[in-house]
Amino acid sequence: MNPTEDQIYVIIFSTLFLGGLMSTFVVAMVFIHRQRQAQNKQKLDQIKLEHEKTLLNIENEIQQETLTHIGRELHDNIGQLLSLAKLNFGSIKEHKREEGKEILNLVIKEVRGLSKQLNLDWVESISINEFIAQQLARIESTGFCQTTLHADVELDDLPKDQKLVLIRVIQESLNNAIKHASPEKIEIRIMENKREKQILITDNGKGFDSSQKSTGSGMFNLKKRMETVGGEFNLTSAVGKGTEIKLILPN
Amino acid sequence: MDSRFWKAFGDWYLFAIAAFLVIGTYYFLKLNRKEQANSYYWLPFLILVFTVFYENLGAYTNYNFEFKKSVNAFLGNTEFPKYNLWVYNLTNKQISTILYLFLIKTWLEPSKKKYINWMLIVFVSVAMFLQLSGIEPLYLNQPFIFSMGANMILLGSGLYFIGIITNDMYLKANPFRLLSFWQLTFLLFTYSLTYINSMTMIYLYEFNAPLGESIGQIDRVMGVLNKAILVLIIASPFLGRFFDPEPFNASKKVSDLSTQI
Repeated sequence: MNPTEDQIYVIIFSTLFLGGLMSTFVVAMVFIHRQRQAQNKQKLDQIKLEHEKTLLNIENEIQQETLTHIGRELHDNIGQLLSLAKLNFGSIKEHKREEGKEILNLVIKEVRGLSKQLNLDWVESISINEFIAQQLARIESTGFCQTTLHADVELDDLPKDQKLVLIRVIQESLNNAIKHASPEKIEIRIMENKREKQILITDNGKGFDSSQKSTGSGMFNLKKRMETVGGEFNLTSAVGKGTEIKLILPN
Repeated sequence: MDSRFWKAFGDWYLFAIAAFLVIGTYYFLKLNRKEQANSYYWLPFLILVFTVFYENLGAYTNYNFEFKKSVNAFLGNTEFPKYNLWVYNLTNKQISTILYLFLIKTWLEPSKKKYINWMLIVFVSVAMFLQLSGIEPLYLNQPFIFSMGANMILLGSGLYFIGIITNDMYLKANPFRLLSFWQLTFLLFTYSLTYINSMTMIYLYEFNAPLGESIGQIDRVMGVLNKAILVLIIASPFLGRFFDPEPFNASKKVSDLSTQI
């Protein structure tokens, strides 16, 4: 083999080597792509599962809250009304029996209202504004504190998952205010700009040092839940200066 | 027509690329205005037109020796008047490389496009310097300019392949249904298989002309395959059953946006 022949072989083998190298590179890239695609799909499925789990938990909690409310209503309201109706029906006076009938009608109406709350269909039919108004009316009816609602916008076209999360987070935020802050006034504002919808819940209660890390999981859960629907939960509070909670949902 | 004409132009490669140009033109004219104005479609069409132009110009230089000789003389080459390397150096090795780099740029994720911009600046500047300084004259083999262009194409293809394994939009897609994947795979093979051949072209033709021609056929076969993919890219809006839209195709984003609105 003379030097020229050697060089020609080198050229042929170098060409084949480069071709082989490129083939290996492309096959490796396709293989890695497939692997990462599978990993991504797995991750996505997991996020979806977690999202569904969170929503299920929220539904359970709302149902639990509803059952507690119904129990309280049955005991404090309907029970009392039925006792009163029984007394009236026991009377020999005609107008008392008429009054008893009216009370019974009221009881029927109240029971119908309560039965509607037993499943979560009411979530579909109610707007966030209506829900907040109901919650504030309920707080005010107990005489616990004064409440105000300022709504610049009607939040009635939210998807069910966002609605469920908002309902639960608002419910929990109001419960926390009542349980821990002893406020004289609770105010809720609903606003919207080009980028986002905002719900601002403020109370003038005791407040707390929000810069210190909370030991409980309550706030963390609320934050996490807002994040599952792409939203944000921001809390600012100071001792003696009340608490402000800002719920943000992107448009 | 004389036999010299048939010898120069009667070549399967020229017929094949001319056929692709006809098909490509037909589909390009069938695209709507918005698609025609999108570089994703007009750039492959431009490459196709340009390739047919320079390959025929190359054939013409073989047919009209006086023309080839006078251009060689104009460039300062009186020693090898039968060479037509200046056609392929300027068009295939330089302008085509620039056009392919632009094409690769349209498929890269936005954060990686800047690397192609830098490659283009470096390639044009260094190629100009090497030619104007006489280090690699236009009329002789230009191994350094070719290897620089080939390395940049390989690097651009590498950036694309990194994108398909890291970018979420590419991870959602099936690469076998993306024409960009096939185009870059064929470009990778073309530039790697012709790398050695192009660097040693004069040497090979001098010492073993049949082998030089055989290896040169690789370039032509790969060239035909590349042009076929370019035609498929131009015709892709009509081939939705076989190919998926490119994740970073601007017109797709616009149409998606209009659907949302």
